Amino acid sequence: MRTRATPAERRLAVRGTPVHMLQAGDGPPLLFLHGAGAGGRWLPFHARLAERFDVLAPSHPGHGGSPTAEWIEHISDLAFHYLDLLDDLGLARVHLVGASFGGWIAAEMATMASHRLASLTLVAPVGIKVEGWIYPFLFAMDLPQLVQTVFHDATAALALAPRDLTSVDGLAELYRERAALARVAWNPYLYDPLLRRRLGRIAAPTLLCWGEHDRVAPRVCAEAWAEEIPGAALRTFAGSGHLPHVEEPDAVAAAVIDFCAGPRR
Amino acid sequence: MKFYYFHLMPYPMEHDEPSSWVTLSNRHYDPAVGHTLYNQYLDQFEHAERLGWDGLCVNEHHQNCYGTMPSPNLMAAMLARRTTRARIAVLGNGLPLRENPLRIAEEIAMLDVVSGGRIISGFVRGIGPEYYSVGTNPTHSRERFYEAAELILRAWTEDGPFPFDGRFYRYHWVNPWPRPLQRPHPPVWCPSQGSAETVEWAARRRFPYLMVFTPITRIAQIYGEYREACDRSGYTASRYQLTVNLPIVVAENDAKAERIARENALWVYHTGLRIPIPFWQPPGYLSEASFRRAMTNRPRLPTELTFEDLVEGGYLIVGSPATVRDRLRVFSDELRAGIVCSGMPAGSHEATLDMMELFAREVMPHFREDAHVDETAGVGR
Repeated sequence: MRTRATPAERRLAVRGTPVHMLQAGDGPPLLFLHGAGAGGRWLPFHARLAERFDVLAPSHPGHGGSPTAEWIEHISDLAFHYLDLLDDLGLARVHLVGASFGGWIAAEMATMASHRLASLTLVAPVGIKVEGWIYPFLFAMDLPQLVQTVFHDATAALALAPRDLTSVDGLAELYRERAALARVAWNPYLYDPLLRRRLGRIAAPTLLCWGEHDRVAPRVCAEAWAEEIPGAALRTFAGSGHLPHVEEPDAVAAAVIDFCAGPRR
Repeated sequence: MKFYYFHLMPYPMEHDEPSSWVTLSNRHYDPAVGHTLYNQYLDQFEHAERLGWDGLCVNEHHQNCYGTMPSPNLMAAMLARRTTRARIAVLGNGLPLRENPLRIAEEIAMLDVVSGGRIISGFVRGIGPEYYSVGTNPTHSRERFYEAAELILRAWTEDGPFPFDGRFYRYHWVNPWPRPLQRPHPPVWCPSQGSAETVEWAARRRFPYLMVFTPITRIAQIYGEYREACDRSGYTASRYQLTVNLPIVVAENDAKAERIARENALWVYHTGLRIPIPFWQPPGYLSEASFRRAMTNRPRLPTELTFEDLVEGGYLIVGSPATVRDRLRVFSDELRAGIVCSGMPAGSHEATLDMMELFAREVMPHFREDAHVDETAGVGR
């Protein structure tokens, strides 16, 4: 029987910016960057990875338990923020896993400091402009529309359900997270025009994980990423929408573990 | 009290779509109908001046059937040449929505010079859905607003050229020709819905505060906060700094007025302002403090308001001339508002002209003790 560690809560100050982080597991360090609305969540996916890795899951500024950082105005600010976090924790090299919006941040980091990465796993990242596709504008959607757009199986959305929609505090937390995302992602929406041409700089072994029913970043996006990142492997998951690590945590975690165990990692 | 005629220039229509803004297809817009409407609306403005209204108000909104005035300065330009006496209040230009706000400084100055100094310049942020239509990042809204306002005010008051190096707006040469005719600049108004930051900012600069389509209890609260902010800034607010915008429906008797209002005034709230929650609340448009304040005392959505709510809440004045006079006394005597901006949703063009005449004959003269006062003296600059 697997042991599933309860994560420790850590509060850091990365160059003065407060960060709330969950951490559990033994093994090589693995930094996980969450997507929109998923800050501060310790999901079955994390628990599975924690069986093999020391999993570090910080919340982005303004998300989960991390307060808003007024200085953050561009996606590269977040990428530098996490490179600073690695420096503060004394981690020379990590396995980096990012999902959706977190995948965008991870890809930016990889273009800046690929040598810091033992491996890079991007789970349905956004962040690049793909000809013929415009990401659906999540800021215009109510909760039922969001669930329908993001998930293949709507019941999987319960894992990321807002904690509290009845109190002012709960609504303010959601508003803060949406604002933190909008600061860096409103327009251009969910991409950095400069990122795509820089992806060729990524030298770390890269795994792309994609749900076959992704309605946020469909197949054409996966192909664009696979085309731009030298040698990237693409794995698809038949029972998932935009968040395969939420809908099929065991399968995606196994893919990550398998990939990280490969040569030269 | 001063009376300003306010027009949304709506495109009245019924539909079953979830939103009247942003996504309502413009295939519903028939330009031939629009031609008639625009010209009737402009005729109503000109009629208002003839009937004694002190000012005429136009405003900016984008991509909706609620108000078809994406460029209020264009409408102000037409009025500048077709009127001679009334103030023309642009309420306002959406400062953060512009990539080049110096253009606003230029256009308002042009209007002021052409009109002989009759322009009032409203500075607004635009409401939530505007950020979905125009693309401006709503998390930049407040900062862009303050920066653009500073740029425009300096462009009007300082000799050019001078450089401006802001976070959002940067110029090597700020030097607009023409300069405005009014000195130091046209009065600036702040139409708003009561965010704490805007109240403080407007009060500090003596910019009149305009409450738009707001229940009377909230108007009273915000007026109180505005007056306190003026006191903190070391002066007493003039009554002409406190302005309200609400539709008025007047008819020979209460029953007829109610019938007309039910048929025509409800449309603005139930159809014109049918806006899904995400469009009302673009992320970061409000500070977290203002968001918490709004959620703590959550106003009902316009679509949730019944006719009785609107009348009792003071969103709307409806009745015979005597009833309308009594209701207006609440604004003039209790709230001590100096200016009432109102449109008259009467239905047809002819009915609107008739209603305006009735109002000018039976209501307006009872509030004219300040007829000799210039409401813009020392205010808004």
